[in-house]
Amino acid sequence: MSALRWSYMDHWRVNTPRGPVTQYASRRHMDDFVKQIRSVGFEGLDMFDFQVFALSQMFGSVEKYQEYLREHGIDKIVNLFRGIMYDPRVADAHVRETHDEIVGSTRRMLGMWEGLEIESLIVMPASLYIDTAPVTDDKIKAAAECWNRVGEMTLTEFGVRSTCHHEFFCAIRTEDDIRKFYEWTDPRYVSFFCDTAQHCIAGIDPVALFEDLHDRCSGFHFKDTRQVDTTGAYDNRPDAELMAPQTAQWFHEMGTEGGLVDFPRLMRALKRHEFSGWITVEHDKVNIGGDYAESTALAMWYAQNVLSEIYS
Amino acid sequence: MTETSAPALRRGYAINQWKPNFDDFTRREQHERALKVIAACGFTAVELRAGTGRWNPLGRPASIVANYGSTEAFVDLARGIGIEAVSSWYFDPGEPIDEELTHGRSVLEQTDHAAIIESVKPFADFLAASGGSRLVVRALPSAWSTGPLSEDTIAVAGAAWNRIGACAAEFGVTVSLHVDCLSAAADDETLDRLLAATDPGLVGLTIDTAELTLAGLDPVAVLDRHADRVDHVHLKDTRYRDEAGERFGPHAEAAMLQAGGSREIDRWFYECGTKGGLVDFPAFVGRLRDHGYTGWLIFESEQSPNPAGSVMLNGWYAERVLGC
Repeated sequence: MSALRWSYMDHWRVNTPRGPVTQYASRRHMDDFVKQIRSVGFEGLDMFDFQVFALSQMFGSVEKYQEYLREHGIDKIVNLFRGIMYDPRVADAHVRETHDEIVGSTRRMLGMWEGLEIESLIVMPASLYIDTAPVTDDKIKAAAECWNRVGEMTLTEFGVRSTCHHEFFCAIRTEDDIRKFYEWTDPRYVSFFCDTAQHCIAGIDPVALFEDLHDRCSGFHFKDTRQVDTTGAYDNRPDAELMAPQTAQWFHEMGTEGGLVDFPRLMRALKRHEFSGWITVEHDKVNIGGDYAESTALAMWYAQNVLSEIYS
Repeated sequence: MTETSAPALRRGYAINQWKPNFDDFTRREQHERALKVIAACGFTAVELRAGTGRWNPLGRPASIVANYGSTEAFVDLARGIGIEAVSSWYFDPGEPIDEELTHGRSVLEQTDHAAIIESVKPFADFLAASGGSRLVVRALPSAWSTGPLSEDTIAVAGAAWNRIGACAAEFGVTVSLHVDCLSAAADDETLDRLLAATDPGLVGLTIDTAELTLAGLDPVAVLDRHADRVDHVHLKDTRYRDEAGERFGPHAEAAMLQAGGSREIDRWFYECGTKGGLVDFPAFVGRLRDHGYTGWLIFESEQSPNPAGSVMLNGWYAERVLGC
């Protein structure tokens, strides 16, 4: 029995005669997408919250979509990534006055899609660094309070774990601030989601971070990068992820030439700590310099032929 | 969707889809990526396509040696990736070979036979060294260029393939006649005559599901009729039949296959199970099993706009629908 199962974080694009589209554009593209990720060994799917509306339109309900996935060899939707557009006037984790709205909107969302059989809800636990700076202990504590409340609600009301994903441009981005955040959050309600490339870009060794937080870690985005942010992109408007002068493409599939993430070392750490559960593969924006299908197959070739030799 | 628990057949992939143009797919890292994609989708062999010139590094055994150092180095690289064999090599004697200073030869010309035999030897030798077993050859030139073939002409072609087959057999490799949609052999009667003119011990038959279907033949019927000769398979789908007979028009390679004919079809060939596909793969593979077929199933998807995506779709279909 394997300790690990592989899930795919969806950023998929496919080129068509009318330009690039997502698989939510048509049932035909959805069929191709699901078959293609299954063919390379994925058994789970991670997706964004805002795509669920399209699923409901295409299949009638999320339950029917999950049934469709199972028929095609994908067991379940493992994680839902909530893309919160933080705004201090409405919802911002370091602004205590907005916590009721964050808890309430999360409850509404999960209530609306109760049929989703997800394990975790992934969030960026604070707004953009540039919109939060200076990042103080009190702001981190406020964010911790926010996610403690959200996490307790999602777990007790929906059986869903809340887990936090630290983009390199997120306010809680440094090693010290990330450690403080987990010190001030309740392990019962708030987990750590380790995105290997994001931490690497932020100048953090993701393996060392996992070693420190392994008892809090609920999952991973296994993706690679070729660059550390050396230009302070995280601290510049308008957007660090797509518009930084340093690079147009921060992310690559694991196993890429020149990749900075030491995946074999990370797998040895997973083995040592007996991590079990889902590992999510992600390589967002690879369409900038390549192709989702090829990157997905190459990533899983790497998983099957290099990483599984270490731990599976 | 159906699923089957029948024993897995060995499956490989044709690499030709990665090289739609003469200057594509020249770099070694591109080859490695393609082989990894193929392996990741559960295919354990690759079929190469003969080609010429320095921009065709996988086109000839000598080109592979020039680019990889040796046959063994390439085979080791492929095996390290998970591709256990170069199962087969497609070779069309009618194509130009710069290295041999020829613009192409024909099995219909007796004076070309000796040169074709010499030409195939390195391919057979390479296959023997790389776990392969089939030299897949274009059975006959395009129908538009040959016109109807007399018994004597068929006999000349048969004699050529027998000699070529005997040569390949010395390397432990079988010559297998591949019938594409433009071929003069893409006609039940001509195909039957050509097979009758060849030695079953030396010359086999490749069934290419889409090529036969496009030409109006039924691949299942051809399989049933020649089951004892079928020793290689190309699996691909098509949504079209050439009902207007455009394959018989002048320069059909360009006018029909490339330009799309009067219907301006962008893409003749698709992954197995494509919507609107005309090939009944479960029936075809079921009959292969009934006949005790033990050769490779080579999936092919030339004209794909996304080679990696096509391999993934075929991988899903092979595993989930065909059970191989």
